[in-house]
Amino acid sequence: MNFDPVPFPLLQSFLLWLLVVGSATCIVLVVSLIATIATVGARGPVVFANELGAMVGDLVSLSPRRIFALAQLTFREAVRRKALMVFVVFAILFMFAGWFLSSSNLAPEFQVKVYVSFVLRAISWLILPVVLLLACWGIPEDIRLRSMHTVVTKPARRLELVIGRMLGYSFVGLTVLAVMGVVGWGWINRQLPESAKSQLICRQPIRGELTFLDREGNPTKEGINVGDIWMFHSFIEGATKARAIWTFEGVGPHVLDNEGNLLLENRFQAFRSHKGDMRRSIYFQYTFVNPETNARVPYQLKTVDEGRGRTDRINRTLLNIGESSKTDGKKYDIIDDMVSKDGRLTVEVACVDPGQYLGMARPDLFVRTADLPFYYGYFKAVACIGLMVLLVIFMGVSVSTFVKGPVATFLTFCVVIVSYGARDFMGRIVGDPIALQKAAQYSGLQEMKKLEGGGVLESIYRILWHMNPTTELPAGPSTTIMQFIDTGLVNFLWLVYRILPNFDYFSESLLYVANGFDVRFDSCVLACIMVTLAYFGPCVLLGYFALRVRELEAK
Amino acid sequence: MSTTGQPREAVIEIRNLTKIYRDFWGRKKVRAVNALSLDVYKGEVFGLLGPNGSGKTTTLKMLLGLLFPTEGEIKILGQSASDVRKNERIGYLPEESYLYRFLTGEETLDFYGRLFNMTNAERKQRTEELLKLVKVDHARKRQLKEYSKGMTRRIGLAQALINHPDLVLLDEPTSGLDPLGSRDMKDLILDLKAQGKTIVMCSHLLADVQDVCDRIAILYGGELKVLGRVDELLKSQNQTQVLSDQLSPAAQAEVEAVLKKHGAKYQVDHPTANLEELFLRTVQESKDRPGRRLIADDPAVKA
Repeated sequence: MNFDPVPFPLLQSFLLWLLVVGSATCIVLVVSLIATIATVGARGPVVFANELGAMVGDLVSLSPRRIFALAQLTFREAVRRKALMVFVVFAILFMFAGWFLSSSNLAPEFQVKVYVSFVLRAISWLILPVVLLLACWGIPEDIRLRSMHTVVTKPARRLELVIGRMLGYSFVGLTVLAVMGVVGWGWINRQLPESAKSQLICRQPIRGELTFLDREGNPTKEGINVGDIWMFHSFIEGATKARAIWTFEGVGPHVLDNEGNLLLENRFQAFRSHKGDMRRSIYFQYTFVNPETNARVPYQLKTVDEGRGRTDRINRTLLNIGESSKTDGKKYDIIDDMVSKDGRLTVEVACVDPGQYLGMARPDLFVRTADLPFYYGYFKAVACIGLMVLLVIFMGVSVSTFVKGPVATFLTFCVVIVSYGARDFMGRIVGDPIALQKAAQYSGLQEMKKLEGGGVLESIYRILWHMNPTTELPAGPSTTIMQFIDTGLVNFLWLVYRILPNFDYFSESLLYVANGFDVRFDSCVLACIMVTLAYFGPCVLLGYFALRVRELEAK
Repeated sequence: MSTTGQPREAVIEIRNLTKIYRDFWGRKKVRAVNALSLDVYKGEVFGLLGPNGSGKTTTLKMLLGLLFPTEGEIKILGQSASDVRKNERIGYLPEESYLYRFLTGEETLDFYGRLFNMTNAERKQRTEELLKLVKVDHARKRQLKEYSKGMTRRIGLAQALINHPDLVLLDEPTSGLDPLGSRDMKDLILDLKAQGKTIVMCSHLLADVQDVCDRIAILYGGELKVLGRVDELLKSQNQTQVLSDQLSPAAQAEVEAVLKKHGAKYQVDHPTANLEELFLRTVQESKDRPGRRLIADDPAVKA
């Protein structure tokens, strides 16, 4: 995880959502029409049109009072069936967790990471099974015990029943989450060693765009590969013209801290081609450049803090020490003189030690603006867990309208697990650019290509005949048929990949706050909100459709 | 046609209704209802009779939209059975009281009142009325899981009446009730009829049906076997019944002489009350005179 948030592509995602939901709706409508004609014969289209009209009628005649009544019923059911016993497990867990988390020998930021991760993960893992079971068993039990008979024989629409159930379980889940969130926050503040409490913060980085100059001073796409096959960090050679150049946008007086310093946080790597002076770390130097006027001010030398990041406080008033360490005595204001009118600031990083190398990637240097209080990011992470809880509830209730409780639980559980664990892999198979980019980041590569080796049949064939993925398949009808079927399967996989929710968004917020970063709204929170909303409508419609077409009394 | 010669308003119209249960693979499992056609008119108490498995509950559930007909058509209050708007004017008491057992009596009625979009004030008023009507107001704060079977039936009936329905569908309404409760239920059905409501009840307790129903349909094997007014169906045209107060032996001999003269086959006896009447009378008199034995002991038990 490089904590390099990418803004959620709202429009692109919405268009994709329209495409997927629209396609799925069309498929369901066509299949339903065919099934109706097969069941009732020539009257099929009329019956189908009447049913469709009735469904649209139900959609526009929803009653908030009935929905709230059903939601309240659901809430009461959960409470009176002792769903809140989860608090007992939560309490026991937190009573003794302190014994095992004590880690005063660790650096403060790692202690914060351990405590915050534990609390947020414990909340997620306790609450998800509870809401999963509640959501998946409610409607099937209602049908089995026939208590639903007394509801659907009232003017309550089945659509209201689905929405009411979802809302009710959402109230339960969010109430439990709110209590756990507040208790967890208090527990962190109370249990965390005093020495680490200063690290309970939410850093707000301004990330820049990174380019390189090679050892001759020519622009290049990336730096040197020092031999690591994972080419995420590019290296610049010491005492040459090689530079890593970041350009930050949105820089102004508001980014300075209370004392008027510009905070630059870096996490550079060092690669030594010779032992050098082992008593000190490798030197590097910042040079501030105004991208408009090209005014350049080198800054004093700094050392790399290997393995850990460091924050450099740059005084607002810069003394030009000159490129060759000879000062011209002129003073520059880092905001007034080095930042362009449109708020851009360029920072060049040079490795000073000859024969040594400095490695970096885009997220390894950022302008650190004023820190936010810890609770700010913490409760945003809790909110993201809440959105995940809602998503699981929507899916669970929806699935439970057409299968029985155990099957609904298993199915929803599988969707969650596959979405968590295998969705990225599926993305690499179908060649989704976002999944490939993410996989590259996690693997430490600049880029990653779509997985080779064909589809299921082709892969089996290659395995059986010991052929590697780049070997040409023998031409012939069998290969054509095999590849045709594989294309269909990959397209089906594309549909499944698109239908499965991206749960990574929900867990990312946890990682941000545990590592001392703020949870960005435009990347994390917005993504969680949009994913949850994107599934609400389809889940409601699927649940409604399933309840409407099934006989509630069927044996 | 009504007795006044006006065409009667049909509240339920069933035409050629058939229901076939199928297995998972779509193969026919059982034909529960076969080509059923009948009408139920406004303001009458209509009984659906039949032995177990005759299709009466299936018919009722198709009326409510809980099951879909395989063939045929249903109009209920002028609307299709699958139209949820018809439920605004319907009250339904299921065979078992399928209620939410974690709710209290009061919460149950409030919940169902909300489903009819009733305001808070309306719900409160109606809840009070119904809890008193079905005699469970003393247990209003108890969860239904603590109710006896009879109390659950009563609260089930209350929820069926929450919306002042025009049509009440009762599935085995006296099932699980003691004779007192059963009598109350029958009185209530007659009271609803007096208010102009239409009642359809399924039962295999023939005495109950005979007590309250105007018309009945008897189903067997999913088919309609008998349909008509109860009094007409039960009337025996080749027998005459004369009831009188206690006659003296002389008067009785004179009557018998007259019957002999006309060549009639006859039987003179004291009419017997049915068991329900005896039970109700015993309970009532026990309440009026506690501790008193009402009927002479069985001499055999005495010996």
